[in-house]
Amino acid sequence: MNSNWQQTRRDFFTSSASGLGAAALALLLQQDGVLEAADVEANPLAPKQPPLPATAKQCIFILPAGAPSHVDLFDPKPKLRELHGEKPPASLVENVRFAFVKKETAVLAGSAREFSKHGECGMELSDFLPHLGTCADDICLVRSMHTDAFNHHPAQLMLTSGVPRFGRPSMGSWLNYGLGSESSDLPGYVVMSAGRGSSGGVSNWSSGFLPSTYEGVVFRSQGEPVLNLNNPAGISRDVQARALDTLTALNKQRYEALQDPEIASRISSYELAFRMQAAAPELIDLSGETQATLDSYGVTRKEPEKHNFRGGGPNVYRQFATNCLLARRLIERGVRFVTLVHASWDHHSNIDQELGYNTGMADQPIAALIKDLKQRGLLDSTLLIFAGEFGRTPLWENRAGRKNDAVGRDHHPFGYSVFMAGGGIKGGLAYGETDEIGWAPVKDPVHVNDFHATTLKLFGFDHLRFTHRFKGLQVRLTDQGGKVIQRLIA
Amino acid sequence: MRLVAFIVLLVIVSAPTTLYAADTTKLPAAADSEIDFVQNVQPILRKTCYSCHGAEEQEAGLRLDIRSRAFEGGDGGKVILPGKSAESRIVMMVAGLDEDAGIMPPEGEGTPLTPEQISILRAWIDQGAKWPDGVDDASQSSHWSFQPITRPRLPSVGDAAWMVNAIDAYILARLEKAKIAPSPEAPRSTLIRRVYLDLIGLPPTPEELNAFLSDESPDAYERMVERVFASPHYGERRGRQWLDLARYADSDGYEKDRARPHAWRYRNWVIDAINADIPYDQFSIQQLAGDLLADVATEQRVATGFHRNTLHNTEGGTDQEEDRVKKTVDRTNTVGTIWLGLTVGCAQCHRHKYDPLTQREYYQLYAFFNSIDEADIDAPLPADQERFLLAKQAFDAEHGKLQDVVTAYEKAKLAAAQQVWEKTALDTSVVWRDVEYKSAISKHGATLETQKDRSLLAKKTNTVADIYTIATTVMQPVTAVRLEVLPDDSLTKKGPGRANNGNFVLTTFRLQATSATGQDAPKEIALAAAKADFSQKDWDVAKAINEDSADGWAVNPEIGKRHVAVFELKEPVHFDGGTKLTFILDQNYEGETHNIGRFRLSFTSGKLPATLEGLPAIVGDALAVAADKRTAEQAKQVTDYFRTVDPELAKLNKIVSDHAKKAPKTSGVKAQTVSQRAEVRQTNIHIRGDFLAKGDSVSPRTPTVFHDLAPRSEQADRLDFAKWLFAEDNPLMARVTVNRIWQRFFGRGIVETVDDFGTQGELPSHPELLDWLATEFRQQDWSVKRIQRLIVTSRTYRQSAAYRPDLAEADPQNVLLARQQRRRVEAELIRDLSLAASGLLDTRLGGPSVRPPQPAEYSALTYANSAKWQVSKGGDAYRRGLYTFFQRTSPYPMLITFDSPDSTECCTQRTLSNTPLQALTLWNDPAFFECAQSFGWRVLNSVPLSADAEQTVADQGRYAFELSLARRPSEEELAAVVELYRAQLDWAEANEEAVAKIVGKQKPSAGASLEQLAAWIVVGRALLNLDEFITRE
Repeated sequence: MNSNWQQTRRDFFTSSASGLGAAALALLLQQDGVLEAADVEANPLAPKQPPLPATAKQCIFILPAGAPSHVDLFDPKPKLRELHGEKPPASLVENVRFAFVKKETAVLAGSAREFSKHGECGMELSDFLPHLGTCADDICLVRSMHTDAFNHHPAQLMLTSGVPRFGRPSMGSWLNYGLGSESSDLPGYVVMSAGRGSSGGVSNWSSGFLPSTYEGVVFRSQGEPVLNLNNPAGISRDVQARALDTLTALNKQRYEALQDPEIASRISSYELAFRMQAAAPELIDLSGETQATLDSYGVTRKEPEKHNFRGGGPNVYRQFATNCLLARRLIERGVRFVTLVHASWDHHSNIDQELGYNTGMADQPIAALIKDLKQRGLLDSTLLIFAGEFGRTPLWENRAGRKNDAVGRDHHPFGYSVFMAGGGIKGGLAYGETDEIGWAPVKDPVHVNDFHATTLKLFGFDHLRFTHRFKGLQVRLTDQGGKVIQRLIA
Repeated sequence: MRLVAFIVLLVIVSAPTTLYAADTTKLPAAADSEIDFVQNVQPILRKTCYSCHGAEEQEAGLRLDIRSRAFEGGDGGKVILPGKSAESRIVMMVAGLDEDAGIMPPEGEGTPLTPEQISILRAWIDQGAKWPDGVDDASQSSHWSFQPITRPRLPSVGDAAWMVNAIDAYILARLEKAKIAPSPEAPRSTLIRRVYLDLIGLPPTPEELNAFLSDESPDAYERMVERVFASPHYGERRGRQWLDLARYADSDGYEKDRARPHAWRYRNWVIDAINADIPYDQFSIQQLAGDLLADVATEQRVATGFHRNTLHNTEGGTDQEEDRVKKTVDRTNTVGTIWLGLTVGCAQCHRHKYDPLTQREYYQLYAFFNSIDEADIDAPLPADQERFLLAKQAFDAEHGKLQDVVTAYEKAKLAAAQQVWEKTALDTSVVWRDVEYKSAISKHGATLETQKDRSLLAKKTNTVADIYTIATTVMQPVTAVRLEVLPDDSLTKKGPGRANNGNFVLTTFRLQATSATGQDAPKEIALAAAKADFSQKDWDVAKAINEDSADGWAVNPEIGKRHVAVFELKEPVHFDGGTKLTFILDQNYEGETHNIGRFRLSFTSGKLPATLEGLPAIVGDALAVAADKRTAEQAKQVTDYFRTVDPELAKLNKIVSDHAKKAPKTSGVKAQTVSQRAEVRQTNIHIRGDFLAKGDSVSPRTPTVFHDLAPRSEQADRLDFAKWLFAEDNPLMARVTVNRIWQRFFGRGIVETVDDFGTQGELPSHPELLDWLATEFRQQDWSVKRIQRLIVTSRTYRQSAAYRPDLAEADPQNVLLARQQRRRVEAELIRDLSLAASGLLDTRLGGPSVRPPQPAEYSALTYANSAKWQVSKGGDAYRRGLYTFFQRTSPYPMLITFDSPDSTECCTQRTLSNTPLQALTLWNDPAFFECAQSFGWRVLNSVPLSADAEQTVADQGRYAFELSLARRPSEEELAAVVELYRAQLDWAEANEEAVAKIVGKQKPSAGASLEQLAAWIVVGRALLNLDEFITRE
């Protein structure tokens, strides 16, 4: 850890102009007589400047875990409709494996959705996404994504951490490691989930081999926002403050005796925890939001009459809308990286109905979030990402014994769509193309690792140089490859 | 570019030598000094040529890293002609003097040689191209950690009095060279807590602390160390460290993340093995290949559970072979990290970029682990098994005695009893004779098939009110007939009926008879009486022979069992020459298919009333013969039968069988293990690491850079590999292991990159100390404990950890160890410390994993809430942290918050973070607050009350320090604690409601108040949050 402090020490002095959070903290601690100025930069979350010019400073990553169907939402394929019910060319499926599709009897499946053009750019989107259509000119839609992993958990890890395995830091951890956090009262990396959990679980926001300081902290939109945030029954904030005073005083005495910077770091962690105890409940208190804002996100809207199991629990519409609004509030408070998870979009069956249920939940709040950020002048520096771990087959899933009226689509890593907005990404752009049936990119392919490299570029990092030493190697987010796609950047 | 290079080289190499006509005058002259291949030439080849002409690739068939191949040349012939540098094609090519071929290495593939380098190359060739034995790169590396370990000499030091053992000599020598003085010894209270935390992970109690503080003998420290080493908690402490390496977890990982109910059995093995200080070679070999040992014992199989800690994917659509390959890769890499300190996994997709390991060699290593089969076996714990065997022994003795009684009875009394029985046997029980069915017909088309036991089984059609008609011929007189209805697995609820509830209704049973030889029509035979072993209420068997055809015999609720009905004839029936008998079973139960499913018919000629059960015909016939006239077979039949009916024998046998039910049972504990496939799997290189892209096939082999493998048979296996690790000339294993041991006591290894001893790793800070420890490790029979003892008793270890201003510049990283290193303790220990200080800790050793309380919302984050968390009850909620069930996709949050590894791969060194979430956990996690409550109670109730109230509070404050930090407070510290206590007491007196909540279920003892208790809880909570509390200083 010592080397980290040395590192941080240098960073503190070279980036003190941006070190507002840390500076404020330093001031506070010095006022309390707790720390000498030089001790405070032990704070590993002190804000740092990126090595290169950056357009994005903060990120909201919406993870529709389970993998939404690109051909039903983002990538219109009239030809696929024409060929509906026909067998796919043998060459296409010959060397491909599926989770559940039986190759011998597989048939092509056109989308039941209608696509229309939106915005000045004329971006074609499915009728499942009417609200998002109104943001078309701010959206950069990538229709040529592809990934290496085939099953949910590995593919989610591929998306969030660059490799299809456990143990690597997620992108949010990398960015907190590289940039610190601007928030002195909240963690730099916050995760919120609606509905049931994703198959990757906490590994999707793990800090991997980086210190857990950089791990995503799960916030809840109701009750206690952070695990163990509330004092035990009977311990009032005054008692807590008084106990913290003594704790700090005793820690400080030890620090004076031994001069171990780890003690100083401990003192500042406890101070931040104490501030979080006040800041986090304030964060989720929406009473200061106008009715218009609440309505635009759909925080108060009616839940559908019938909720379905796959889409989540009974309040998932309101929960997701609330999370989108909280994402904006977190961005306003300087949090570096916000992940919004919703599972699952794994529509192996009954796809038209269940996908409609999910987009009904997600479309309005996401569009409202983009507009809200824009209106508040936050969109320019906030990168919003909506990306699943892969797409879905242009084939019907014909699992043995399944009737045709509940059809779905299987896992499809070869080509799919994601979109981004803000943070210096190019709005009003539909980038890349898949072939006539939406199988694989035929123009401007974007590998998941290209997406990582490009994101890091927006945040002011050369992905080849943003490394951390682990097991004898300089490891990076794009270890398996990846290049910056310059044309995605405004 | 590679392709271009290939073509270019092909052109060059295939050009005949004689046509070669370049201008040799342009060649740099050969150097005139004496050239050494290893010193001067090999580095040039290595840097310039190997990437295309080395182990991985041999462009144009040329390979330059092995002597034999280098002199053989490429596809076009020789390139090195000893003594003739100007004619050697290699020289012309690197000089770029071949007009057709251009220059080697080609542009973009490397830097051209300088004229000096070409001079060296020429001189070497001209001097005879001497290439000594055993220096091929493929078989040797100059990297430090691959060199043999030799016992270094002890350095001389100035201040010899400072030294306790050899470790100190190496440390002090370096310090003296750097002109840095070591730190003074840490205070005794720090020392005892340090030793306790390092060796057993638990704090000393105030009693242990004070005993040590007051022990003035010169070897007080050493004796304290020995006491701690002897604690069984030692196995838990070192065991948890090993589990980090072994990537132990209690679930599969990935989406489904299924629980592994037997995983803990391996953990138990680790703890036990460490407590027994099993030598490290045995400890390792048993885990790597225990299944292959001769006379393998259960414990050795359990040890192979090491290989079962890999992830396992059961998500729908997973390719099982791919998953198996992933596990095998993990096993290979884990072994590489733990025993070789190498990142062998880098060679999975391509040749290792930095270390001398080719992709082929990687898969040769992989091949050792490629024939593993997984198996869960019965594995009772040794103690349980011992208890079981003892109990079994006692039981067997007792059981033997009971059996002896039976045998004695059989010998002494059975024959006499039989004689008595024979006298009346034929009078008291009838002989039931089976009949041979001539025909068996169902009215509605069911089939009635004869079974082996001569019963009839109804199948197929099962319609309402079937009538079965069965005909037979008997020679003897008939006095009664018997109907047995029998259970059968093919019937609903096993029958005996075919109704949905297993029942049947026999509404009317009729019998007809006529002469078997005559032509008379059968006559109805009058039945006088019917009886059965059981009849359903209102459905007595007598109703089967009454006038009413609507009622009858049924057996509900005694379903699924055999039942017997006997029908006695009014008059015996007998025809000379045989009687043709016809049984008619009418099942005219209204509206339901209550037909009999399986049944057997028999008859008797015996005296009435007929018994339900009787003698088998064969016995009856034998009995009819006088005892001395019976054949041997008949005699045996009678005796055998009698044994089944003798009440005395039955009684004795029942005593035996009742006793057998009390036989001790094995524990039912299982273990995850591996075994070797009978037929080994073929291993192929996976091109670019893709398991579907199969390259050459390879056999198990160790990398050529290392010492030779000595396989026991032609096909080397895992056991050969495991033994190879401990061969005398393995340069890595001992160094890597002692380095890891060292790291646990100083926070950093002598080689800082504990997991990488390759060329990308750090160099050792004290190379001689490392080698001394490595040789010592071998000399001490691979006893980890003895190495630890050396470290813990060294002067170096005992130094104070206080920072020193003079070191800030000279040695900011504390590499030279002029002081000890403070370190926050590991996640599990934080839990242990709190539980121990508060007196809540359940110190039981080993056993299945437990689930202490965790926030309910937390497990809901897993996939579809798959990880159910059933909170453990009683003491299991207060077990040490290492026993907490580790669910991979949703690990116990407190553990992760404090940097516990995620257990997905081998972890040699934990990160140590310092976060606000940690603060919130220690403040507010209910488990920790419960500790604070109990801690407050202990402080309040353990200190004798003094007459002076002030004095009492001060004593309590001191005790609180001893309990939490194992030391006495400074005046200033005590004042701060007392001040907080007073403030909280004042507050408590004004906040009655809050006080009740704070104290929870704790109650103050006599003479103390609730407010005092609440105040001490608040103070205790602060102490249990101190940096020092969770730090080993």
